[in-house]
Amino acid sequence: MNNLINFLTAGILAAAPLLFGVLGETLTEKSGNMNLGVEGMMFMGGIAGILGPYYYEKAGGTNPYVALIIAMVCALVCAGVGALVFSVLTITLRANQNVTGLALTMFGTGFGNYFGEAVGNADPSGFLSVSTAVKGIFNNPIFPDSMVNIPYIGKLLFSHNFMVYLAILLAILLAWFLGRTRAGLSLRAVGESPATADAAGINVTKYKYLATCIGGAMTGLGGLYLVMNAASGVGGAWVYNCIDGYGWLAVALVIFAVWSPKRALWCSLIFGGLACMRYYYPISFIPASIYDIVPYIVTAIVLVAVSLKHSRANQPPESLGLSYFREER
Amino acid sequence: MKKRILALLMAGALALGLTACGGGDTSTDADTTADSSSDTAATTGIAADKLKVGLILVGEAADAYNKNHIDGMREACQKNGMDYDSQVVVKANITEDSTCADAINELLDAGCNAIFADSFGHEQYMEEAAPDHPDVQFCHATGYQGATDTLDNTHNYFAKIFEARYLAGIAAGLKTETNKLGYVAAKPFAEVISGYTAFYLGAKSVNPDVTMLVNYTNEWSDATKEATNAQALIDQGCDVISQHSDTSAPATTAQSNGVFAVGYNDDMISVAPDAALVSARVNWGAYYEYALKCLIDGEAIDQDWCGSYAEGACYLSPFNDAIIADGTKEAIEKAAAGLADGSVQVFAGPLHGKDADGNELNLAEGEYYKENEKGSSPTFTYIVDGVTVLS
Repeated sequence: MNNLINFLTAGILAAAPLLFGVLGETLTEKSGNMNLGVEGMMFMGGIAGILGPYYYEKAGGTNPYVALIIAMVCALVCAGVGALVFSVLTITLRANQNVTGLALTMFGTGFGNYFGEAVGNADPSGFLSVSTAVKGIFNNPIFPDSMVNIPYIGKLLFSHNFMVYLAILLAILLAWFLGRTRAGLSLRAVGESPATADAAGINVTKYKYLATCIGGAMTGLGGLYLVMNAASGVGGAWVYNCIDGYGWLAVALVIFAVWSPKRALWCSLIFGGLACMRYYYPISFIPASIYDIVPYIVTAIVLVAVSLKHSRANQPPESLGLSYFREER
Repeated sequence: MKKRILALLMAGALALGLTACGGGDTSTDADTTADSSSDTAATTGIAADKLKVGLILVGEAADAYNKNHIDGMREACQKNGMDYDSQVVVKANITEDSTCADAINELLDAGCNAIFADSFGHEQYMEEAAPDHPDVQFCHATGYQGATDTLDNTHNYFAKIFEARYLAGIAAGLKTETNKLGYVAAKPFAEVISGYTAFYLGAKSVNPDVTMLVNYTNEWSDATKEATNAQALIDQGCDVISQHSDTSAPATTAQSNGVFAVGYNDDMISVAPDAALVSARVNWGAYYEYALKCLIDGEAIDQDWCGSYAEGACYLSPFNDAIIADGTKEAIEKAAAGLADGSVQVFAGPLHGKDADGNELNLAEGEYYKENEKGSSPTFTYIVDGVTVLS
């Protein structure tokens, strides 16, 4: 039983960075923009999110809460800027979205690794890392010990760091926004048929820009999580290439969750669980590499199933990946 | 129509040009090979200021494993009167695939007299390039083929890191309260198995009740996997985590969980101040100093070089005095002296284990397994009693 609880807890911790990524990308894709730069934006969010508190502490700052806010803002802004570049190129200049997204991934990866290496090498300890207090803020449970220590459910529900709850909250918020608000409806209209939305008086460009930039900023939080979390990440330091494919996993998850924030909750939990399953429930005759490819196989199967089913609600946004030319209406 | 004919003509010209170039290349290659083979007869030293060496690193220059190689090379250059910045060409992030072949070619083009590569998977590319360039020395860390093949210009080097791990294991054995150690292992290779067995036996030498769990990440360097791996070990009751992997993630995970860590490759106290006890490290500088000196003096480099703890080829990083158990230093000093004079053997009987093929190792009291008997590359592949490999 304990092993099961430990496994589920580890799964939740591994799912949170994916959830940030998948929520950000879902918001982006709902506007019809296919941003394949998630990996790059995660790198940008991750490196900025650790450089911020690192320099704050170098400058003599000691308040971990201030460091926390700096980390969050840096991660959001840096990843958001990456998404802004993508937006300018694809929305205003109407560049090909796939190519631009791939370029953003390459740029972000290099950006993160370059600054991570340069700053780490320059530090006397050889590490780009933050103090124990800041690590604690990103890793300690936010609920009091009395709740964490409740048998079984305490660890499962209340033992997590604040970013896990933030990710869940974001998922609920996003589901509410897309399904229950006027602006959410307009955004979905932009993603389905920008020409129709335009005719209805919706500012297509504004919606696309906002959705892509806010979505990109959200994926940056996933990068920050991977850099700061100790159970499923680097634990408050920078390690070369530490995002390592999580961004792509998030892109796959968007499809797996068929563009629904609610479904993203349990879909990311499955992916997160798969990532740590073999350490808790090893099956000796299954090679580890099989565990590693399962998420991608599952995604391929879902893609096939979705396209066979033709259910109208479970389809990608109609104009996903297409630039909108107003003059071509 | 005109355009098409023109296009065809252009394509034809291009194809011709390509074949011409290709032909040219092969002939020059043949020339250089002929030249160089005649050169080898006369092995004279190369002046220290003329020497040029290449260093191939599997990861970025900043990660612990590769940084140790760079630091070692820097130190070796200094001791041999060479200028590191102008005489060493570093190729970082060379993965164990054809990237390595490209890197070797670039280093050869740059005129390197010797090429050093630091990862196990680089060896096959070294072996491919070596026959064509007999005047260039190919030195490969952690490999085994250089020592066993028929070529004179391929070499292997390593340190008896298992000795340092054995000593680091003593720190872990004295510290653990649950008597359960955890080990984040990279890949099920002899180098890794030999390392964790030595670590375990070191712990067992001071704490007979200790057991150890091992989890493989199947990557040399993957921070997220190493963290998940370490977390799983801690969840299963391990209270001292050690690692054979390249990042500091196992140490930071231990820190976050309030348990302890024994590092590898790097002093991890600064990144995990309340968890890192000590680290086992290789001093690559010892070999580089020796190899460069051989090149300068015109002497043959050992086909197979393996430095010991007593010689300083591997060592322990400074202890984290605030958290190590009482008596750790004394116990380690005593064991180190024993290793130096041969009275302590790492893989000593009574010892029972089984390897992946089902072969059994059964050592009686007084017997021991002689690691590095056949070469610098470790050979111990038995999972000994007390060690459990989970996945």
